[in-house]
Amino acid sequence: MMRLNPFRRFKPFRGLKYLLAILVTAIFTLIFLSFRTEGGQDHTILSLLYLLPVVLSSVLWGLGPGALVALASFLALNYFFVPPYYTLLVHRTQDLLVLIVFLGVSITVGQLVGRVSKSLAESHAREHEAIHLYELIMHLAGLQDEQEIVSTLAEQTLITFHAGRVDVLVEAQGSIPVHHVRLEDHSLPAQALEDPPTFLAPLQSARGFLGEIKIWREASTLSPAEERLLHTFASQGVLALERVRLSQAASRARLLEESDRFKSSLLSSVSHELRTPLATIKAAVTSLRSGAVEWDTEARADLLAAVEEETDHLNQLVGNLLNMSRIEAGALKPERSWNSLAEILSSALDLTRQQTEKHVVEAEVSADLPLVPVDYFQIEQVFINLISNSTKYSPEGTTIAIHAHPVNRNLMQVTVRNQGPHVATEHLERIFDKFYRVTAADRVTGAGLGLSICKGIIEAHGGHIWAENLDRGFAFHFTLPLSWEGFPLEAGQEMVDE
Amino acid sequence: MSTQPHILVIDDEAQILRALRTILTAKQFKVSVASRGEEGLALAAAQPPDLIILDLSLPDMDGIEVCARLREWTQVPIIILSVRESEREKVIALDKGADDYLTKPFGIEELLARIRVALRHSAQTLGSQKSQIITAGAIVIDLALHIVTRNGEEVKLTATEFKLLAYLSANAGRVLTNQSILSHVWEPAEADRVEYLRVYIRQLRKKLEEDPDHPCIIRNEPGIGYRFMVDE
Repeated sequence: MMRLNPFRRFKPFRGLKYLLAILVTAIFTLIFLSFRTEGGQDHTILSLLYLLPVVLSSVLWGLGPGALVALASFLALNYFFVPPYYTLLVHRTQDLLVLIVFLGVSITVGQLVGRVSKSLAESHAREHEAIHLYELIMHLAGLQDEQEIVSTLAEQTLITFHAGRVDVLVEAQGSIPVHHVRLEDHSLPAQALEDPPTFLAPLQSARGFLGEIKIWREASTLSPAEERLLHTFASQGVLALERVRLSQAASRARLLEESDRFKSSLLSSVSHELRTPLATIKAAVTSLRSGAVEWDTEARADLLAAVEEETDHLNQLVGNLLNMSRIEAGALKPERSWNSLAEILSSALDLTRQQTEKHVVEAEVSADLPLVPVDYFQIEQVFINLISNSTKYSPEGTTIAIHAHPVNRNLMQVTVRNQGPHVATEHLERIFDKFYRVTAADRVTGAGLGLSICKGIIEAHGGHIWAENLDRGFAFHFTLPLSWEGFPLEAGQEMVDE
Repeated sequence: MSTQPHILVIDDEAQILRALRTILTAKQFKVSVASRGEEGLALAAAQPPDLIILDLSLPDMDGIEVCARLREWTQVPIIILSVRESEREKVIALDKGADDYLTKPFGIEELLARIRVALRHSAQTLGSQKSQIITAGAIVIDLALHIVTRNGEEVKLTATEFKLLAYLSANAGRVLTNQSILSHVWEPAEADRVEYLRVYIRQLRKKLEEDPDHPCIIRNEPGIGYRFMVDE
């Protein structure tokens, strides 16, 4: 029921103003009576004096009471001051004229003064209203969080309506949780919690009921201006809430779309990439099993070597896919411990032995380098991917050189150089993007994920990865921090005995 | 070992069971297989095997739990099979008493070598005649006399270096986790100070290896720990 009739108004006690108006006339009359002389006096002066209560009442209580005072003054003037006294009779036409003119003037003046003071009060109220509304809009603008909007709305309502307590409640909707803010002004007399709210304004959007604003306060009436303001507050709150919900919905849709695009490019890239080694394995194994051909020892060894190589290839691909999905899900968290880069590189070289068979690998990573606080397997994966990329793009028989050196106390830089072709400068950064390839996909194997995984891993370690064209060849560089949680490793030097 | 060594394989993948049964039988092992943890535990109790190959991901229970339950009553060597992504579990399984591990996919030669090392190690433990002299390439370690020689010349080692080398070589051929080395050679409280271990391993390699950058005697076990290699 409350929702249907949001503003409960208690009618002000209007009779009081009229009573007061009569009272003022009586007081003035008493004062004037004390100056009355028996000989009679100029009624014109008195009639001017009687304008005083008329103007006063019009200013204080408005048009109606003003008019009443004008009438009462007219009667009092006649009754008490126009001879014969204590009758409403008038003997002299001159007196009658004065009385009639007084009545006309006092009513006109009363109306004019009343109207001016009313419009003055209205313009004050409007100015007030405009200021509060401006403050609310200023505070709501740019808020992107529902809880903050609800708090701001409650705060501004409390200040604007001089309320003892304000409750703003936004109901839960789908995945959006319920938001409830209660503010109290302790400088004002406390309002009992169990009391029903003095006013209630619904937060109503075009798509339905969102929640409500409840106000408890001492003054139990709302002026028309306040009523208007409360309506406007509610609708501004609704607008702000809807703006946030719409922008959230839009960003969710964008994310979904991106992840959709990622999945479909992953699928197309992977299905091609998975089938190639599977085709080789299937072909080799079926040839060996078929009795149709007598394979000599060398041919058998060749076929079997192909199967083994392709199996490793598949295994590496699956590892990359897993890492990629972890990076995408934001779940790539390095499990750091102090590791030796030389050890990591040597296990990466073991795992890529077959791929690098046709290249010369020069590793210059000394075991005496400072230890690095990294995830062993992730950095191993970086080495594997960079080496594997180098073997794919550089001609057979050329050299792949891996080198590491500390740049300063806090940073280790690693370089993987090959003698492959240059990459156009504008592509140098983009080669670390997912599925990005400089050459046509069918010329080179791989899912186009290797370098983007490197980037994901290195950045998760707080490092940086980039590529560079050399005079002869191409290089990848990456950096790794030498400190962990802000601390460099000092233990290494001091703990070695002797 | 006059009779055929008995190997129990616990793995839920039928293809792996089939391949291992075929290969190991061909290599003159007696093979029994189980595809669930409970079944494996029951088989191990009914016909105690000489070695168990255990997959970490089983349908009914965790491989780590199987390992722990086996260790309650038997010291049979256990080789863990697992995929590369479960390093943490592998380390837990090794600390819970597994002897060695292999990462899937693996080469069969590697598996056979691990089986040989594990069987020999358990034979030595049972025979209680532990060798006091260990030879690895040019290095000879006399555990009783605390002497290490390289090509016949004595190598000077600090007390901690010797303690580390003694622990590694006493478990030659087996994988040792960083934590187990740290808590045996240092204090259990220092089991997380991997950096100590890295520094000492580097010192030892400099003194013992032909090429410290390509170690052959103290080998890395990626992400797990180290393994001391002896002459077969």
